[in-house]
Amino acid sequence: MPSAQTLVHKFNDLKTLPHVAIRVTQLVNSDAATMKDFEEIIKLDPILVIRLLKLVNSPYFGLVNRVESISKAVVYAGMKNLRNMVAVEALRNLFTEDDNQEFSRRQLWKHCATVAILARMIAERLFGLAGEDEFLAGIIHDIGLIIEDQLAAQELREVARLYRSGTEVITRYEDEIIETNHCKVGGLLVFNWNMPPEVVEAIKKHHDQDKVYPVPSITSILHIAEYIASRVNCGAVQGRQDPLPPYLTSHMKSRMTDYKVLIKDFPAEMAKAEELYREEA
Amino acid sequence: MDDLFATVFDDLVDRAEERLALLAIIGPLLPGVRLAIVDRQGQVVGDLPETSPAILAPLLRRAQEGSALVSAENARGERRYAFCLEPPDTLVFSLPVSGGDISADPMQAQLCLNTFQLALARRGQNEALLESAQLHRQIEVLKKQHVHLIDDNHEQYLLLQKREKEYAKELEKEIARQTKELRAKNRELEAASRLKSEFLANMSHELRTPLNAIIGFSGLLIESELSAEQDDFVQTISKAADNLLVLINDILDLAKVESGKLDLASEPVDLAALARSVSAMLAAQAAARANNIRVHVDSALPPRVLGDEVRLRQILINLVGNALKFTEHGWVDIQLKKGEGGGDQVVFEVRDNGIGIAHHRLQAIFEKFTQADGSTTRQYGGTGLGLSICYQLVTLMGGQIVVESAVGTGSVFRCLIPLAGVKVEKATPLSAESAAGPVAAFKQAGSIAVLLVEDNLVNQKLARLLIQRQGCQVEVAADGLEALARLQDKKFHLILMDIHMPNMDGLEATRKIRLLEGLAAESMKYASLGGGTARIPIIGLTASASKEDEQNCYEAGMDGFLTKPINKEKFVETLNGYRQKRSA
Repeated sequence: MPSAQTLVHKFNDLKTLPHVAIRVTQLVNSDAATMKDFEEIIKLDPILVIRLLKLVNSPYFGLVNRVESISKAVVYAGMKNLRNMVAVEALRNLFTEDDNQEFSRRQLWKHCATVAILARMIAERLFGLAGEDEFLAGIIHDIGLIIEDQLAAQELREVARLYRSGTEVITRYEDEIIETNHCKVGGLLVFNWNMPPEVVEAIKKHHDQDKVYPVPSITSILHIAEYIASRVNCGAVQGRQDPLPPYLTSHMKSRMTDYKVLIKDFPAEMAKAEELYREEA
Repeated sequence: MDDLFATVFDDLVDRAEERLALLAIIGPLLPGVRLAIVDRQGQVVGDLPETSPAILAPLLRRAQEGSALVSAENARGERRYAFCLEPPDTLVFSLPVSGGDISADPMQAQLCLNTFQLALARRGQNEALLESAQLHRQIEVLKKQHVHLIDDNHEQYLLLQKREKEYAKELEKEIARQTKELRAKNRELEAASRLKSEFLANMSHELRTPLNAIIGFSGLLIESELSAEQDDFVQTISKAADNLLVLINDILDLAKVESGKLDLASEPVDLAALARSVSAMLAAQAAARANNIRVHVDSALPPRVLGDEVRLRQILINLVGNALKFTEHGWVDIQLKKGEGGGDQVVFEVRDNGIGIAHHRLQAIFEKFTQADGSTTRQYGGTGLGLSICYQLVTLMGGQIVVESAVGTGSVFRCLIPLAGVKVEKATPLSAESAAGPVAAFKQAGSIAVLLVEDNLVNQKLARLLIQRQGCQVEVAADGLEALARLQDKKFHLILMDIHMPNMDGLEATRKIRLLEGLAAESMKYASLGGGTARIPIIGLTASASKEDEQNCYEAGMDGFLTKPINKEKFVETLNGYRQKRSA
């Protein structure tokens, strides 16, 4: 059976991240990139342009005047917002409708979006962080599952079945049946896309139950967001939830009221995101 | 507790802690109160003695039906109260006071509920504080992002500036490269143009030599006995050759100007005399077309200016000739006056009332081989070089030439040329000999022996004839060496020396002669260089008419200089000059 590396290679032969996403990620990493360069790329994709204008005109930006020009919107949004937006568009297309009872890509997409929004909320509200990298980590953290679904669909369904009825973490079953797991595969793929190292790290470790990660860090925030998502029935695989590592349980308990306030605002945030990323006609 | 929160945090919520927190707040308000929290699974957290499930179950059910306070009595007659705390949790409590059922009395029930609500509100206050703290954090994030945006903005500004600079540098490099290319191209073109001009100059020279023969011999032929028809033929040949000479001279002049080989003389020029002589010279041409030439010379002009008389004359002749060509039954005015701008500007104005030039043709009129209209060439003749030469000459003199014209009304050509006035010492008018004509004075002078040194047979024949016609003796030497031999044998009074010859050229021969003259013993061997007597005059004869050639002739020791084709009048004039000097 394949190693993570082989899976990633095979996957890249099948599907590549759209040119726009690759360029934008490169630009974010480049010191010499100007917003003009971003504008030139975003302009190529009408869907991105619509998203971008929606984004900067959303209450989140609280601008007095409506922004109509792409160049202005690009400047308002900032590089990381642009990168996230492009990543969302690129990945959404990978989560094509291919439902079955064992494993649903649509469900997975909903899970990723939920985790992303929660991760950003936690970063912003509890820790006063910008939350952009956390959002990105949330959106792409389960990309490994997509690859496995693409290249080892039968095995993945077996994994899902075992997981649902078992007690172990999902990666344990993957290692057993697929001989690799979506954390490894996803981490490798995202590394090749030149994502920030902290994001790559979080993706590799997001099912790591035994280690203690600093709070806050993208990895620990991703863990918490994943936990909350699964509690609101938005897990990657429905029907079972992984427990929270003990150090995060005590963290959440200690800031229970904070989380209570956050959860109260979660449906509204989710609705905003749904509005922003709603499929255009 | 909110539903969503309950869903998320069910596993995490510690109701014992919550109960204690609530008790801490409610305790002081209701001393002696005992309470328990019952979750949705019926799990009881807290101490409620003497409360059997039989009592508790219906109590909980009733409490969860609404928000009212409900109560039930246990076996010992003690009351247990319950109300829905935060769905799905229910609070069950007992009060130390015995007696009536508080829930039965609406006032007391409300009072009791209010007390608990107060306690909860205090807890909610904490929540509000945390919410506000979260909002503050979000605001801080936005502030940071704002600062980041400004930093970014600045960075972007620097980046763009850098890019612009790089772009400007690129542009500069590109311009420098192109400029270099253009310069190289320009140099090539200049070289090509110079080569062309040199070629033209050489060609003109080559053309003049045979023309020399044609003009000279047809001139001689006219003077011989001819039938009327023959005379007409020869006249035609002669006129055609004259025209050809003018054309070749024009081409040569242009080529000289363009190759930078035309040198301007700077000698005193009598402007009024110049204008009059041009008028006189072209009078016949004017009369042929029933035109009248009028000359006006402004008295404010200095009588003499420093300039190149030959070229100024050429300019005027060209302009007046041009005006005459396109005018019939009209007039041509030559007007010389001071320039309006002050200084040394002299205005040469030639005005006619001829056919005029259309406005759109005015631009091209000074270009080579251009006439106002292609058809004019056929109608009026001419090469179209005259005005171009005028333009080049005026420009070379540091002046400018402008034209105004209206079709059917006439044209005005105006040259503005800087010409400094000459301080007048004695106002001697230029010698009138040219007016009197050189040929007239000549017959009285005595005969002289002339040595013609010339390799070209045709030129030999022509020059010999011309000299003989003036009543002089002439002998011919084919090159410098032969000339020296002749000088030994015979006494000559004048040498006409061609420049380009085989064996020994004219310049070398001249130098040799001058050298011999300086050596008394040697010169005694030469009949013509008779020891100690005045040096023998040598006049250069050449078809290459550049200033440089002239200079070379004088440097070699010549006394005069004549260009070929031989102008008969000038030739005779020069010959006579030496003849008279000798007889004087």
